Amino acid sequence: MQDLLTALLAKAPAELAALTTRADFEAAKARYVGPNGELTALMKQMGAVPKEQRPAMGKLINEAKAQLQAQLDATLARIGDAEIAAQLGPAVDPSLPSPDAGPGTWHPLTLVREEMCRILRKAGFTVVEGPEVETEYYCFDALNTPADHPARDAHDTFYFPERARFAGVTKKDPEEKYLLRTHTSSVQIRSMLKGPPPLRVVSPGRVYRRDTSDATHSANFHQIECLYVDKHVTVRDLKALLDYIFASLLGQDTKTRFRPHYFSYTEPSFEVDLSAKHLPKVNKAWIEIGGCGIVDPGVFEAVGYDPEVWTGYAFGMGLERLAMLLYGIDDIRYFYQNDVRFLKQFA
Amino acid sequence: MKISLNWIKQYVALDGVSTAELEHAFTFLGFEVEGVVSTALPPLTNVVVGAIRTRTKHPNADKLSVCTVDVGPAHGGVRTIVCGAHNCDAGNFVPVALPGAVLPGDFKIKQSKIRGQTSDGMLCSPDELGLGGEHAGLLLLSGQPTLGQPINETLHGGDTVFDLEITPNRPDALSQMGLARELAAWFRQPVAFPEIKFHNQTHGERPDILAGIRVESPEDCPLYVGIAVAGVKVGPSPAWMQERLTAVGLRPINNLVDVGNYVMLELGQPLHVFDAKKIGGRQIVVRRAADGEKLTTLDGKERQLNRRMLVIADEAKPLVIAGLMGGASAEVDAGTTDIVLEAAYFRPQSIRWTSRRLGLTSDSAYRFERGVDPHGTLEAARRAIDLILATAGGTVVGPSFQVGGDRPWQREIKVTPAFIRARFGFDVSDDAIRDALRALNLAIVGESETATGPEWTVDIPSYRGDLDRPIDLVEEVLRIHGTDKVPPAPCAGPALVDGDDDPIAVFNRRATDYLVGQSFHEVVNYTLRSQQELSTWVSAASAEELALANPFVDDQSHLRPTLVLGLMDSLKLNQSRGNAVARLCETGRVFMEHNGTVQECVGVAFLICENEKDRAWLPRAQPDFYTVKRHMEILAGAAGLTLAAQELKPVTGAFWGWQPGQSATAGELTAGWTARFGLLNPAMVRAAGVEGRVWAGMLAILPEKLTAAGGHRRYQPFSLMPAALRDLALVVEAARHAGEVRQQLLAVARTAAGTAFAVESVEVFDVYTGAGLPAGKKSLAFALSFRSQERTLTDDEVNTVFQRIQKDIAADGTMAVRA
Repeated sequence: MQDLLTALLAKAPAELAALTTRADFEAAKARYVGPNGELTALMKQMGAVPKEQRPAMGKLINEAKAQLQAQLDATLARIGDAEIAAQLGPAVDPSLPSPDAGPGTWHPLTLVREEMCRILRKAGFTVVEGPEVETEYYCFDALNTPADHPARDAHDTFYFPERARFAGVTKKDPEEKYLLRTHTSSVQIRSMLKGPPPLRVVSPGRVYRRDTSDATHSANFHQIECLYVDKHVTVRDLKALLDYIFASLLGQDTKTRFRPHYFSYTEPSFEVDLSAKHLPKVNKAWIEIGGCGIVDPGVFEAVGYDPEVWTGYAFGMGLERLAMLLYGIDDIRYFYQNDVRFLKQFA
Repeated sequence: MKISLNWIKQYVALDGVSTAELEHAFTFLGFEVEGVVSTALPPLTNVVVGAIRTRTKHPNADKLSVCTVDVGPAHGGVRTIVCGAHNCDAGNFVPVALPGAVLPGDFKIKQSKIRGQTSDGMLCSPDELGLGGEHAGLLLLSGQPTLGQPINETLHGGDTVFDLEITPNRPDALSQMGLARELAAWFRQPVAFPEIKFHNQTHGERPDILAGIRVESPEDCPLYVGIAVAGVKVGPSPAWMQERLTAVGLRPINNLVDVGNYVMLELGQPLHVFDAKKIGGRQIVVRRAADGEKLTTLDGKERQLNRRMLVIADEAKPLVIAGLMGGASAEVDAGTTDIVLEAAYFRPQSIRWTSRRLGLTSDSAYRFERGVDPHGTLEAARRAIDLILATAGGTVVGPSFQVGGDRPWQREIKVTPAFIRARFGFDVSDDAIRDALRALNLAIVGESETATGPEWTVDIPSYRGDLDRPIDLVEEVLRIHGTDKVPPAPCAGPALVDGDDDPIAVFNRRATDYLVGQSFHEVVNYTLRSQQELSTWVSAASAEELALANPFVDDQSHLRPTLVLGLMDSLKLNQSRGNAVARLCETGRVFMEHNGTVQECVGVAFLICENEKDRAWLPRAQPDFYTVKRHMEILAGAAGLTLAAQELKPVTGAFWGWQPGQSATAGELTAGWTARFGLLNPAMVRAAGVEGRVWAGMLAILPEKLTAAGGHRRYQPFSLMPAALRDLALVVEAARHAGEVRQQLLAVARTAAGTAFAVESVEVFDVYTGAGLPAGKKSLAFALSFRSQERTLTDDEVNTVFQRIQKDIAADGTMAVRA
């Protein structure tokens, strides 16, 4: 029996070393230690071994079993490793490009809009939205610009035919026409009509002018506009907001100044110039960037706020103009062509 | 609006004020300077008249000369100056900038050495002196100017013309006098008005020139004055008048027409001069036109009038469209001897309506519709008579006609300095406020004490109709104080503002962020599209509802019903420029017609282009319908919608942009949203000039639907017990949708399981057609998952339910359990 054990142990290493698959291994394992295996058969003969030899023989068998098990374990580990190696395949060439799509990009107008909203959120402004198709009331009348007011001439407006019907935008007067909003100021009116002051809102959005398209004009463009209504709002507060916005957006050495101007919905009204000499393509000392002012009492009357109690300021500017300034873009049409070589520059 | 410096200097002293200072003044008074053209020399010191005595070639430079120049004994007599100009010949009188002079552009002149030769000043060309023009040699002074005389004394004359933007609230600034008043306020100078000699003196009655004036429409014309002048002589206006008119951009015509224009530009009151002989019946009638009445205006065009339009007529015919433009038939011509001068106040709304209706404007209408000084009409008429008598002769004859009164004017505003300071948000003294008001001719005519200090009663002059409320005075004081002097301040901390960003903004942000994260490039396209393009996406009737009344260009005439139009443009542009681009997305408003009503929807759309020409070293699975469907499910989720819970239908109707059989639609606009996605019609794609197969998806949702989305979620307890899994393959008609089969199987399974345990999921994991199945059938394999909340399920109880499911399915008749 001892000889048989020795022979068994002698042939096992070579046989196990030749195994390459898990199935062959399982078969080999069964041949040794399975219910009908050779070692199992030897163990079954223990009953026939004389009693006094049994301890020695038992020890021998246990040693052989342990030895064999270790060889089996090693073999299985070797086959497992080989399997993983086979699954992995050859080493990659890390310098090859990924065949998958590259990164997506946000449009520069989105980037500038979101940056402005982020800056304004810190100053307590939340984003409001309104329809792009408006009535004359929201776009003009409620903003202190009645039908026969020459200020309407400044806005070349797209109108819809009299029969046009738009859901969700109700005419105050059946005679008035639907139009494409010429400014986001209509959203100010809608925001104020929604609830009582105080109010601190920013309305970014698309606006339309019936005008020739060229390097600096576009039939539709985008504005961003702030409205703050509270008690004791002053010109100085307005200036402070603008200084904060532009210092945040363009850097601390950015300066702003007010020039008197006229908007029917603010009084006093100003145009805002800024000076930021570090920006590309800003050659002039002061460039015009937007309009602002103290909310005209007539606007508060239109929305049912008491102008004796409430004061406010409003500020608006063109997003394209801001993006052109910020990125040094010289033609507004690039925003609407969407050449990916352009889009990828701002990611 | 063009302003001549020479002209306004008649009314306000501006000596020693530089062009730059005037530009600054106009800008901060609120009149944006759009251009400055100067034909006058700026004030220069140390620039004097010199005479070139000798000229020799510079020893070290071919193009330079060395001149000796006599600048008079007061400036040291003869100097040596190096000059590069071609015309520095001996004998020429030229301007000499002496050391210490500063030329325009902050060019400081000092003694220097030029190529080793000392130069004691500079000989000047016109552009170096700020006179504009090309650099073309020295400015040669004519005559025998005095040596050493300051150049400003030698070369006086010329003018500086400012082109200003006048905002619509300031009709009073549409005149030289109006802007002189503003400059006077800025520089705290008095205003000198032209002296008026005519005070309605007439010389005899001449009803044969003008017999009467009848105003039939006094509400449109509250004041009408006609003054007859007999024996005028038509000819050119004097040189000084022509010069001024020319300077501000008007063409001189003849003395009578020029006087009318001159007074309009001087005082802002438009006037009209009639040839008296051409007034039929010698009777002026101010009336509404009759519908269909016609008048050929001075510009040679025949105008069709209607009953809302005001005309100045004689007994028979209209002569002038009131306040707007004269007719060709009543104009002054070379043979005119007697005239009638019209000065009137017309209701601004009337003029404006007519002007817009006729698409016709004029300098006169521009002023009337913004509002002329209601108190200045008669004065302007008298000023014009003075100028007519001075330039065309003649005598004023009676009878005088004035219909309507000089409109009474009194307006007072009560304001406290405390109110002004409160709006400013910074301190300005009572005295400074008073000074600013006084500078603007806003007289404080009363003062009383209130709890917050004095209250002033401010008298508003008739030409400042825009000033009506205390807030209007805040602006006036701030203008004079200087809007650039608002002191800085820290941005105030936010008040507690109730509210979050609008759901539309939140959705757009989420949708864009998701798509950009999925390698899409966000694009931005125009909202307005052409009618022809729309026919791909909506019916002709729908397109009609999306049309603008007044498009500017033909290819931007309709609202977009889908963002896909713009996305295709962007794709095409990139392809044509050789840019590899496969994924584009856009958010924005889209407009969808339903039963004649247009809904403005919040929209998001994307497209994925599969182009065979795009090569990759390692091939990837191409996008397909289910790629698009996954994006759509996630986008719908961002809007608070569950696309998986919706029935997907084939796209039908006019939307032939979508390829039938390769696309689907979900939702209804009547329910607040709609989604369409799948393959774009390859024929349409090719016709659009785009290469490759294009997959796309779009979601349109009504704003109010977004507002309704959201809400708080509640935790649902979930089972910690293991699930029991079974697979089941069903054979159904090949055309049947898997979703519908799944729904049916789910219902059957739930019935079978009853309350014993839950059917957690039923998901399709295999679709098979082909060998082993009857023709026209397909096999759908589903994985079913069962789970109990409380216990581990036994095989037996699951098997019982599973068998019941199979039995019920078999009984259905439309599907069979695959063996």
